[in-house]
Parts: sequence; structure tokens; C-alpha cells
Amino acid sequence: MAGVLFQDGMEDVLHAETNGTKSGRSDTVDLNDSSLQVDISDALSEREKVKFTVHTKTTLPDYNKPEFSVVRQHEEFIWLHDRFEENEDYGGYIIPPPPPRPDFDASREKLQKLGEGEGSMTKEEFSKMKQELEAEYLATFKKTVAMHEVFLTRLAQHIVFRNDHNFKVFLEYEQDLSVRTKNKKEKVEGLFKSFNKSTDEILLGATQKDVDDYFEREKTFLLEYHTAIKDTTIKADRMTQSHKSVADSYIQLSSGLSQLGTIEGPRLEKFINKVADTFEKARKVEGRVASDEDLKLSDTLRYYVRDGSAAKDLLYRRLRCLANYEQANKNLDRARAKNKDVHAAELAQQNACEKFEHISNKAKEELNDFKTRRVQAFKKNLIELAELELKHAKAQAQLLKSCLQTLPEE
Amino acid sequence: MSSPKLQLNQVEGEGSDEYIQIGVSDPQKIGDGMSSYMAYKVTTKTNVSYFRKKHWSVMRRFSDFLGLHRKLNEKHLHSGRVIPPAPEKSAIGTTKIKLGSDKNADSGSSDFIERRRAALERYMNRTSAHSTLRADPDFREFIELDAELPRATATSALSSAGVLRLFNRVGETVNKMTFKMDESDQWFEEKTQQIESLDAQLRKLQGSMEGLVNYRRDLALSTAAFAKATAVLSSVEEHSSLSRALHQLSESTERTHTIHHAQADADFYVLSENTKDYIHLIAAVKDVFHERVKTFQTWQHSQITLAKKREAKAKAELAGRMDKVQQAQEEVSEWEGKVERSQEEFERISKAIKKEMEQFDVMRVKDFRDMIIKYLEDLMTSQQQIIKVWETFIPEAKAIS
Repeated sequence: MAGVLFQDGMEDVLHAETNGTKSGRSDTVDLNDSSLQVDISDALSEREKVKFTVHTKTTLPDYNKPEFSVVRQHEEFIWLHDRFEENEDYGGYIIPPPPPRPDFDASREKLQKLGEGEGSMTKEEFSKMKQELEAEYLATFKKTVAMHEVFLTRLAQHIVFRNDHNFKVFLEYEQDLSVRTKNKKEKVEGLFKSFNKSTDEILLGATQKDVDDYFEREKTFLLEYHTAIKDTTIKADRMTQSHKSVADSYIQLSSGLSQLGTIEGPRLEKFINKVADTFEKARKVEGRVASDEDLKLSDTLRYYVRDGSAAKDLLYRRLRCLANYEQANKNLDRARAKNKDVHAAELAQQNACEKFEHISNKAKEELNDFKTRRVQAFKKNLIELAELELKHAKAQAQLLKSCLQTLPEE
Repeated sequence: MSSPKLQLNQVEGEGSDEYIQIGVSDPQKIGDGMSSYMAYKVTTKTNVSYFRKKHWSVMRRFSDFLGLHRKLNEKHLHSGRVIPPAPEKSAIGTTKIKLGSDKNADSGSSDFIERRRAALERYMNRTSAHSTLRADPDFREFIELDAELPRATATSALSSAGVLRLFNRVGETVNKMTFKMDESDQWFEEKTQQIESLDAQLRKLQGSMEGLVNYRRDLALSTAAFAKATAVLSSVEEHSSLSRALHQLSESTERTHTIHHAQADADFYVLSENTKDYIHLIAAVKDVFHERVKTFQTWQHSQITLAKKREAKAKAELAGRMDKVQQAQEEVSEWEGKVERSQEEFERISKAIKKEMEQFDVMRVKDFRDMIIKYLEDLMTSQQQIIKVWETFIPEAKAIS
């Protein structure tokens, strides 16, 4: 059903002109130089898949060419993220959260419902609602492009990550990365692993005392923050949804009024048509309010849910390191007491100590960055949100005012 | 939460300085349990000459309003008047009020009471806007008499009169469906069509309006929930100026929630309820058109009977039954009179309806315009309030350091 509706105009080709401008959602505070610039210059929506054209411009000597593009799918982004996450050398960093899977299910479902209800509305109403849904689909599409782009730009701007070998492969390698999605067994393994990780996390959190006050506080803060921001994101989504519904209901109002005008005849027709027209215009503005709220508010909140989660992961890794360090200490003491394998134990302890100190130092920096990033992102988006809300409210007030002023006299 | 009062009514055709405005307020529950009832204060402001004062109030109970409508209907429907319908009875709503205690009146029942109060007010103003109904002695007594009116017990749905009415109504409905009038008047033909289309379209429109009300109420609730969540987030946020800004955001959205809630009420009372009234008014118009059909039926019926009587007389004459001829002649004269009178009646009501509909259309158009204009003004006010909210917020967001 949805396929049929897509036939005219949308089809299988949906291009998003992102023209390389970053959405700026999370300005990293790292290097601001242009030695490695990454953006998504094009994207194609084909049935179930989205194909992103990743475009790179670089002055770094390691790369074969100064400018090039490759085509990547969502799974390959996840592959890249996983490579970073499992790399122990990066244990002390916040790994940029992976972009969410492109999800057009909601839009498709709505389009299908609309198709089923086609008989019960006028042709005009139907085409308006279809337009609205197509615009929604396009907005979802643009968003997923932006989110994939942000992931890459964060990597490109990070002093350490940008030099990662896998990153280079991702950007440069012209063939498919042959990353198949996990089969059933791997999925179960993955689930098992993350379950283990979270129980370990909880256990560690409960039993491992931290030597450093700063980290204790950060841990508490991140846990509370994560819960609060997740809830706020859900409520923001619901609010945006109902705003959209109000906007859409203006469609029926407008078309119902138009039909009434036809029945009423000359006495009221001009009057009614002016009003119907105003409602149609008002609906477009209301729709924009909803989508701006979604973009500036909900998306910012959503991003920091994920980034906050990545920060929590960092703390977890550090805590694990601390546990290992303390264990190594114990082992050393035991070895010394027995006077057996002392040298090996000393080496192990030294290793664990270095690792722990390195991760602690890095983590402090990263957490500060996280705070700065967060504050800047919220500031930017809250200002933009407020200015857009103001603009739309002024537009609607003006629209209504001029309608009232120019309503035809009896 | 005030529902809009109708504008001061201009009296059609008569001295254009005259006005009458009626307010229904202060709903009170009198008594307890199943014998309790709701009473309302009916306040009239007017300079119409045949009223004794310019500004006064009386107390009336809900069944009084229904009784008034029944009396007006009985007296004026057959003169071709469109009688504004009274608010509907609601067994559930009323029983809830009767059995509930004052202390824990939930928001559901107070909504119901407000809705009913507003509907009664609109009913009174529509009735008083009609010059003939306004002058009716029962109407005048209703708004003027500073004492309890005799109980209109026959309005109770469960009374024997109520049951009888129900039967009559069923009979009428069957009649409406089965009798196809031979319409020779094109005006009535076209008007009937228009009324039908109007009815259908208004119902559809009212449905969309109700949809809008629900979505906007939803929006108000979800905005309030968001405001609360943001307040929590603000208290958790460790960066102090961001925390302040988030707190401001919470307050701003809380204000927006109030605006949405008020707008939803406007959506409801100004648009949806008024349109519902119009659907009921259309039903009253159909009733009056049906009265005319009934008089046509009567006229047809009497013509048929006259023919039969003439036949009977002719038969008697042929048979030479002089005694029967005398009687037959009397009956023929009687039915000739009846035919003449019922034809007059039919023509009279047809003419009256045409005149009535003229006035009705003028009033309907004006009311509709007023309703839309009021609604657009409310919508504009909401937007202006939203502008203020965001104007206040922007400097707070910019202050994040």
C-alpha cells in the first residue's frame, strides 16, 4: 500500500542536500583546523536502505588523495563505532555515540493508514494530508543524514580519533566494508555481553569505592542526569507529536469550512473562504512550530541522552581499571609474601597502575569537554528554538490580524 | 473559564435601539440525593418597553427551561415559527450531580455543569432574540416572575406524559419517513434540499471541531508534563547558568500549557458547542417544515373525504332517499368548510414559514460570522501571549555562559 502511494514523486530516490554544513549540534572543542573535513554530501533512500555518500577533504599526508567520496550504509557506521569502543587504547575517551538506525516505519505506517482512509475524505483533504506526510518523511530522512554526519565530524575533529586506522579505511576504502549485520548467534552473544556489562557496571558501582572524590561526584551526577534527560526527551517527543496533531486537524477544519461555504452560497461564501484559507496558512505555521521543536529541542535532548551514556561508559571502564589495579596490588603483595613470581607480579602491577592513571587523566579532560560541549549545544539550540517559536507566533498573530481586518463585510 | 456571551441583540425590524441580554449564572445544587436539582440565576438586562424593569434576576431550575421550551413549541410551532431547542437532558450527567456530594465535585462534573450553564445561556438569548417568542407571556413570566414556577413535572423523561411524548415522536418519525408530499412550491423544494445539505455538512464540521478540541487538550497536558520534566532536569544540571536557563524553560512551557488549555476551551465553547447548537436549530427548522407537511396532509385528507361525501349524496339522490339526502347535504357543507379552512391553514403556514426563514437566515448568518470572528480573536490573543512567553525567555537562554 505504502509503495503505491510513493509511486508519484517520491519513488526510490530521495536526495538530501546537506551541502556539507555541520548541524553543529555538538561542537567539539578540539582542533578547529581544516586538515580533515568530513561531511555527507548526498544520500539515497532505497526501499529499506539508506546509502550515504561520505565526502572527505584532507591535507593530511596519510591519505591517497586530497578529496574523495565513498558510499556507506548504516551498518558500516556501527562497525566503525564498535572498532573504537573495543579499542583499549581509547579507554580513557568518550566514544562518540553511534547514530540511530534510520527508521521510517512510523511514517510508512501513517501513509498506509492514510491510503486506507482515502475514501472517507475529499480529494483536497487527501492530497493535503499526503503532502504533510511526505514532508514528515523528508524531515525524518534529513535528520538521519544529520545524525550520521555528526558522528563522523566528531571523529574527524578529535585529535586522537582522527588518526585511527579504521577511520581512514572507512573514509577511503572504495569497496563495501563487507560488514554483515549480526546473525542470530552474534546477536544473542551481543545481548549477553551487554547484559554482563550492565550487571558488572551495577556491581562495580555498588562495591568499588573510588579513591577520587571528583569521580564519585561525576558518577552520581551522570546517573541522575541520564534518568532526568531521558524522561525529558520522552515528554518533549510527546509534546511535539500533539503539536503536529493540532496542526493536522486544521486541515479538516479548513476543508469542512470550504464545503460549508459552497452550500451557504453568496451570502457567506466569500467570508468562509477567507477563513478557510487562513486556517490552511495557520496550519503550515503550526506544523513548522512542531518540527522546529523536534529539531532544536527533542533532538538536542536525545543526543545528550546518548552522549551522556557514552560518558557513563567511560566511567565504567575507569572503574574496571581501578578494580584491576587493586587486584594487581593484592596479587603483588601475595607474590611478595610467598616470594614467588615477584617480578611478573611487579610488572603486572605497574601496567595496571599506568593504565589506571592514564585513563583517569584522560577521563577528567573528557568529562570537562563533555560539560562544555553540552552547555554550548544547549545554549545554541535553546536560543534558536526560542527565536523560531517567537517568529512563528508573530507570523500567526499577523496572519490572524490581517484576516480579521480584511474579512468581507456582509 | 467564561463562555462568550452573545452580543447585545438588535431587535429586527423594530426600534433598533432596543436590546435584551440574558445571563445564566451561579449554578447551585439544591437538596440531596435523587430529589435534588440544579438551580440557575437568570439575569436579564433590557430596555424593551413591555418589561417592568431594566435589570433583574430570578432563580430557575433546569426543568423550568425544558418546560418553557415545550410551551413555546406547543403554541408557536404551528404558526410556522422556528423554536430554538433547549439543551438536552443527560441522564448520566444529571444523576452524577444528584448523587455526588458538593465537597468532592470532580472536574468531570464541574465541566458538565459549566457546559450546561453555557448552553442554557445560549438558549435563552436565542429565544429572546425572536420578537414573537420574546413577547410570549410564558417567556415573560419565565424571566420576570420573582417566585418559583409551577413544577413542569411533565417534562421528566420517565413521567407518563414523557412516555406519551415518546410514542408521539415515534409516530411522527414514521410519518416523516413514509409520507411523500407532492411539492408544488419550488421555494420549499430548494429550501428543503439546502437544509439537508447544511445539516450533513455542519455535522461533519462539528466532528472536526471536536477533534481539534481533543488534540489541543492533549497538547496542553503534554506541555505541562514536559514543563515538569524540564524542572527536574534543571535541578540535576550541574552547570549553574544552564540550570537557570532550563528552569526558565520549564516556567515558560508551564505558561504555554496554560495558554493551550484556555485555547482548547475557546475551541470548545466558541466553535464546537455553537456549531452543535446550529445542528439542533436545523432540526427545529425541519420540525417546522414538517408541520407544514402535516397541514398539507390534513388538507388532502379533507378533500378526499369531501369527495366521498359528495358521492354519498349523489347516491342517496339517485336512490330517492330524501331523508338521507338532507343529512348528506349537511355533511357535504361541513366538509366543504373544512377543505376551505385547511387550505387556508396550509397557505398561512407556508407564508409564515417563508417570512420566518428570512429572519432565521439573517440571524444565522450573523451568528455564524460573530462566532468565527470571536474565535479568530481568541486564537490571535493566544498567539500574542505566546509571543510574550518567548520574548521573556530569549535573554535567559542568551545568558548561558
